[in-house]
Amino acid sequence: MKKLNFMKYAVIAVLLVGFAGCNDILEDVEPPTSVSGELALSSPEGINALRASMYSKIRENFGFTTNYFIGPSAFADEARIRPGATRYDNLNAAIGTSGTAHLSFWSNDANSNAYNIIQDANLIAGAIPDGVIPAELAAQYRGEALAIRAFIYHNLVKLYGYEPGNFGQGPEGNWDAGVVLRTEPVIDVADADLRARASVDAVYTQIFQDLAEAKQLLSGINGDNTFATEAFVDGIAARAHLYAGNWSEASAAAQAAIANFPGSLQDSQAGVGGMFFEDAGNHPEALFKIVINPNTENSTGGGSFVNNGPAGYTSDQWVSQLPTQFLIDKYDEDDYRLGWYAPCGEAQRIGAPASNCDAVNANGWSLTKFNGVKGNAVDDLPYMRLAEMYLIWAEAAGKAANDPNAGVAALETLRNARNAGPVPSFGSITEMENFILDERMRELAFEGHRFFDLKRLQRDIRNPNGSIKMFADSYRILAPIGNTLIGVNPQLVENPGY
Amino acid sequence: MYQKLLTVFIMVLLSSQLAFAQTGAISGQVTDADSGETVPGANIYITELERGAASDIDGNYVIENVPAGTYSLTATFVGYRTFRQTVQVSSGQTTTVNIAMQIGAIGLDELVVSGYAVTTKRELTGAISSVRAQDIQDVTLQNPESLLQGRAAGVNVTATSGNPGGAFRVNIRGNGSVNAATEPLYIIDGVQISFAQQSGLTSTTALNALNPNDIESIEVLKDASSAAIYGAQAAAGVVIITTKRGQQGRTQVTARAETGVRTLARNVDYITSEQYVQYLGEGLQYRSQLGLVAAPADWTINEFADNRRNFLLGFFGEDPNNAGQLANTNWQDFIFDDGVTQRYNISLSGGDESTSFYLSGGFEDTEGTAYNSDFTRLSLRSNLDHQINERFRTSLNVNLSRSTQFGVCQDGNFINCPPSQAMFEAPMSFPFLADGSYNPLTRFGLDTNPAVVRDEVDRNVAVTQIISNLNLIYRVNDWLTLNGLVGVDYRNTEDSQYRSPIAAPGQGGFATFANRNVRNFNTNLVANARQTFGGVHNVSGLVGTEYRRDYSESMLVAGDGFPGPFFKVLSATATPTQAAGVFAEWRLGSYFANAKYNYNERYFLDLVMRYDGHSRFGNETRWGFFPSIAGAWRISEENFFNVDFIDELKLRVGYGTTGNSQIGNYAARGLYSAAGSYQGSTGLRPTQLANVNLGWEEAREINIGLDYEILEGRITGAVDVYRKSNTNLLFARPLPSDSGFSSITENIGEVQNEGIEFEISTVNVNTRGFMWSSRFNIAFVQNEVISLPEGNDIRPDNTFDALRIGQPIGLIQTPRWAGVNPADGRPMWYDADGNITYTPVQNRDAVEYKDGVANTVGGFGNTLSYRGLSLDAFFQFSFGQWAFPGTDYYFTRTPDFLMNMAVEVEDRWRQPGDITHYPRAIQVGTDFPETNDYRTQLGTQAVYNASYIRLKNVSLSYNVPTRLTQQIGLNNVRVYASAINLLTWTAWPWYDPEVAFDTRDIYNNSTSASYPTERQVNAGIEIRF
Repeated sequence: MKKLNFMKYAVIAVLLVGFAGCNDILEDVEPPTSVSGELALSSPEGINALRASMYSKIRENFGFTTNYFIGPSAFADEARIRPGATRYDNLNAAIGTSGTAHLSFWSNDANSNAYNIIQDANLIAGAIPDGVIPAELAAQYRGEALAIRAFIYHNLVKLYGYEPGNFGQGPEGNWDAGVVLRTEPVIDVADADLRARASVDAVYTQIFQDLAEAKQLLSGINGDNTFATEAFVDGIAARAHLYAGNWSEASAAAQAAIANFPGSLQDSQAGVGGMFFEDAGNHPEALFKIVINPNTENSTGGGSFVNNGPAGYTSDQWVSQLPTQFLIDKYDEDDYRLGWYAPCGEAQRIGAPASNCDAVNANGWSLTKFNGVKGNAVDDLPYMRLAEMYLIWAEAAGKAANDPNAGVAALETLRNARNAGPVPSFGSITEMENFILDERMRELAFEGHRFFDLKRLQRDIRNPNGSIKMFADSYRILAPIGNTLIGVNPQLVENPGY
Repeated sequence: MYQKLLTVFIMVLLSSQLAFAQTGAISGQVTDADSGETVPGANIYITELERGAASDIDGNYVIENVPAGTYSLTATFVGYRTFRQTVQVSSGQTTTVNIAMQIGAIGLDELVVSGYAVTTKRELTGAISSVRAQDIQDVTLQNPESLLQGRAAGVNVTATSGNPGGAFRVNIRGNGSVNAATEPLYIIDGVQISFAQQSGLTSTTALNALNPNDIESIEVLKDASSAAIYGAQAAAGVVIITTKRGQQGRTQVTARAETGVRTLARNVDYITSEQYVQYLGEGLQYRSQLGLVAAPADWTINEFADNRRNFLLGFFGEDPNNAGQLANTNWQDFIFDDGVTQRYNISLSGGDESTSFYLSGGFEDTEGTAYNSDFTRLSLRSNLDHQINERFRTSLNVNLSRSTQFGVCQDGNFINCPPSQAMFEAPMSFPFLADGSYNPLTRFGLDTNPAVVRDEVDRNVAVTQIISNLNLIYRVNDWLTLNGLVGVDYRNTEDSQYRSPIAAPGQGGFATFANRNVRNFNTNLVANARQTFGGVHNVSGLVGTEYRRDYSESMLVAGDGFPGPFFKVLSATATPTQAAGVFAEWRLGSYFANAKYNYNERYFLDLVMRYDGHSRFGNETRWGFFPSIAGAWRISEENFFNVDFIDELKLRVGYGTTGNSQIGNYAARGLYSAAGSYQGSTGLRPTQLANVNLGWEEAREINIGLDYEILEGRITGAVDVYRKSNTNLLFARPLPSDSGFSSITENIGEVQNEGIEFEISTVNVNTRGFMWSSRFNIAFVQNEVISLPEGNDIRPDNTFDALRIGQPIGLIQTPRWAGVNPADGRPMWYDADGNITYTPVQNRDAVEYKDGVANTVGGFGNTLSYRGLSLDAFFQFSFGQWAFPGTDYYFTRTPDFLMNMAVEVEDRWRQPGDITHYPRAIQVGTDFPETNDYRTQLGTQAVYNASYIRLKNVSLSYNVPTRLTQQIGLNNVRVYASAINLLTWTAWPWYDPEVAFDTRDIYNNSTSASYPTERQVNAGIEIRF
């Protein structure tokens, strides 16, 4: 009986402390549509999904869709608002702080924060455990991540900082602040430390370092331009070296890109005119493009293309930003590239036909590089084209040799393909630079270059009628960091003037 | 593992060869000490055994099967003081205890359910308010929250919606959180109720499952020292609901039937069509004088009015019954129609020496005033208690219910919801054309014509719920009892919505169906001990362990396009448009202990410890410790205390810690979520950084209270003073955005509430047959934000949701109103410097005006009874809350959108020199030159005092004399009439001064088209036999 009593109390005691080993019960609760980081990165499916997210984020980010392609044109002299429309009129006018601030893509908002893309790239490059996916694939993914990271950092640094060598351009005299450099994955809150802006030179050093490794890892991988390839790596290098003033390196990288890219320049009227249409040429010159599904990727994840896509801004839906007469006047009448222009009402696919287009250019044209061919105002987005490589080659070769005609061959190749006539002989570097700037307008209008070309060459920003919009030494050439970011991170130093 | 242990436990216990001890019985008669009349229906209770009996019609009772021993016997009945006596029971014998009850309040002998144990009020050291069945028996409300309104000091209950079955915001001792929920923990007979996955179609509450007729008592554990035993779930207080149980004795049947009507508690007066025309005519005249519109120079007000009349005729069409004239529809009457309520209940209770039962069934059908609004509930309850043998006792409670509600949409400026439609439809529009078809020219067109929404839209909510618990109680020996409980709260909610092609022309009609399930399970094992040493050292306590799992899920499907009006089911839709499903889960494991000591019932000490592990907490803070300490001193027991008229005086002091675990199920986790896609692959990306240190919000509270009982129990009550600091409040701490994350949720921030609560109940007159008793409670609370992340105010310039250190949550900041310029009728405000401005700017000119904190709430009631006649009137009040009536303000005060206009506009400025509060007539808000839009410019004129006193409940009942009823075989028949919200006194000029957006509203300073509170008048009959 006594023994039994003892048993009884023992059982009661055990029962009452029964949970001691049951901590697992509490931890074993999983959310419905999320997984832990360990789980995501330790399975091939998780890694593939992370890679998909990285590319998806480019599309989702307004800074890499309409702001990337149309912003620099609207801010400079290539595009102006159609009377009655409203999109980007602030950029055209550049009143108050509207201007480079408008192009900003460093913010607390996930859909306009370039670092959100870098976040995925850093994870792919630095947080995938060995052995989860085959080593060769892991190397390729790392190469892609480094390429995308370099691409994003270059876009960031050219918006927020002066180009290497141009540090005296602005009011401050010697301003070399770049952007925050973050190359390790943020896995723990301790990783999200506060950092000061790295110098422009440091950012470029990182970009070139990433590109060098990416080129090795992606060596020979050039088959699919919807992911980062070796040719794209060469292309980013060419672009970055051009901005950095490394002329020989820029020239070499551009030629490497041309060599590694499996396609060649379109040289027929139909081939040139239809290259941007997904139902015709389908971007045969794109070194890298993002593919978008108009049915599932048009309105989720932030990239609402019906309202916000580059097509919606230019030739479809809102038809807001039209090519200026100044731009159209740059073409000879036989130039195949005039095939990219069309009467705005005819080209429009969504919405009532726009009126007043002829107030911006005499023919009432819109530029149809982005035309919503895929439906829902959606186009695939070509971030870099082969033609740009010839232009970089031409400019860099001339400057590297300090011979205005050293790069004429590249220029001729391009102009011949476009049926644009012969290349004149240049009497000076400036003459060559002027011609290439015009050629870049003809070739790359609405592809994200005009404002940044003027900025890197320290030219004034002008209106289409030639009047000054913003002097090259204006503080507003650089985008402001903004109080929101500085409020969170006091180590961030604002660009001068703001 | 837990189940396995339980099995072993039960086997060991069952296999122990218990000597079958002899038992005895207690019996006797209960009488009124003064008159000697018998008292039927008194509860006689053996404290140690937690069981008892009820006296029968002749006042006799018997409790059988009582093991030999010494017990403390209590007898309670409403209107009498508790009878207490120690009883010796010998085996095989019946001990006779005749009980003579003294008239008075129950006072400190009242039994209180204080969390895992029952105690007397005498032993309490914390702040607990109780509401008893007899206080609420004729209050015809739908759910327990509503019954608490005004009846428990410091418990601020606000209707978030007046639709029958709608939810109430229950706030105990002030707002203690900003970003986590501030709802109390509700427990019904030991089952912790889940509020997850409630209907998405209307305002509702999970407690609708419980028939108020089955409630025996509601206890509110208000302070941290009494709530600490519930640890991480208790920071917002705990509401413990106990249902009725059977007593040993003859089976008693109680049947009730009642019916009544429901109307709006308050109406708003709107102007007529002709007044509308005159207003617009004046507006047009001013417009033309300003040159904003061209008009012939010789036009007088009559021409301007005619011009507007013609415009309105074109806009709204002619009155279908009166050609050429404008209609003059009273939309308020169309939308808020009187409802009918009926309610039937039957309950049986009784039992023998080993088994007792309480069985009840109830049906209620209450129509609300808004068209289609309706609440029905069918509920069945079975509470069984069985004494298996001397050592084992078991009880099983089962509550089954199915309730339905029409899913009245509300709480927003929605063009298809009844409360907003009453404001949006002008008197000039009308529901039907002359041929009976729908008028297509209502304010937002055919598909939102209120008649279409009434007749062509179904929104049905059906909730099936099981709340049940099984207890097994094992008396180890005289001083130790083990109580095991398994409780379930299973709820299925079906939300179905249908719109005919007329109501949804864009989709060709549509149907949606949402199925929501909650599987909420809790189990605990508690060891209760009680022992007295040396006659004066009373030691008691409990040790327990508990586990709860709350799993909820929902599935939603929708389809568009019906072939015609014949079908309403999804299968008949042409296109499936949505298929969605999610689930959520959390788990809680706990240990707890409570040790109590008192010396000769004079000095009391009470220690509580709870150790809670929660799946929501971060890895590093998985387990939280919540202690409390409290003491009490019955001053009146001291020898030096010799104030004759004071019977009881008890000082209580308690300090404790509780937690708020409502921090979001996965807030502490590092998460990768499915988002984005590329070339057919769905993306997976980091969306939230782990915070391994994320934990509960913590409340620390000190409470000092005084219980008193004066003049032989004629006056009883309590005073409590408290200060509660809610710390570790959840806020998002911003992260540098270059990390890819914008913020992380952390425990930062603090809010403090302090207050005083006062409760008193009195028996004023008690002569033969006539009794007048009163009760009163009032609570004052002060709320203050103490700290915020990085010391920065949040949204510091906002009107209604600014969080500023040193200010209460719910602060209203708006420019000061300066009245109407008597010279030209323009609205004026003051700027920051105190000068008149016509264009105030919120960021610059707003002043700290009022707040949404109802800082003085309470209730008072009087009961008068004379023989069989009884009158009870209960008032409830709330003061200090100010609020902005969003929809009324924006849409019913100007003709901008040609919506309804409140009679306020009749007070408008008409000529120079007029001093009034409403500006001159306008066409649209921009008609005042160089003046902000009067419709949208907020100022102190837009913030109204939401204080009110309400005659919450009045009931009159009459017990038909027994000599009449016995002739038809019944021994007790009572007829009664009652009313809810019969009268309201308030300065609030709109529908309802009860402002709470939803149960989790912390600001309480703004409302938009909420379903207003309703008045109900009922008559019923209750038969007992």
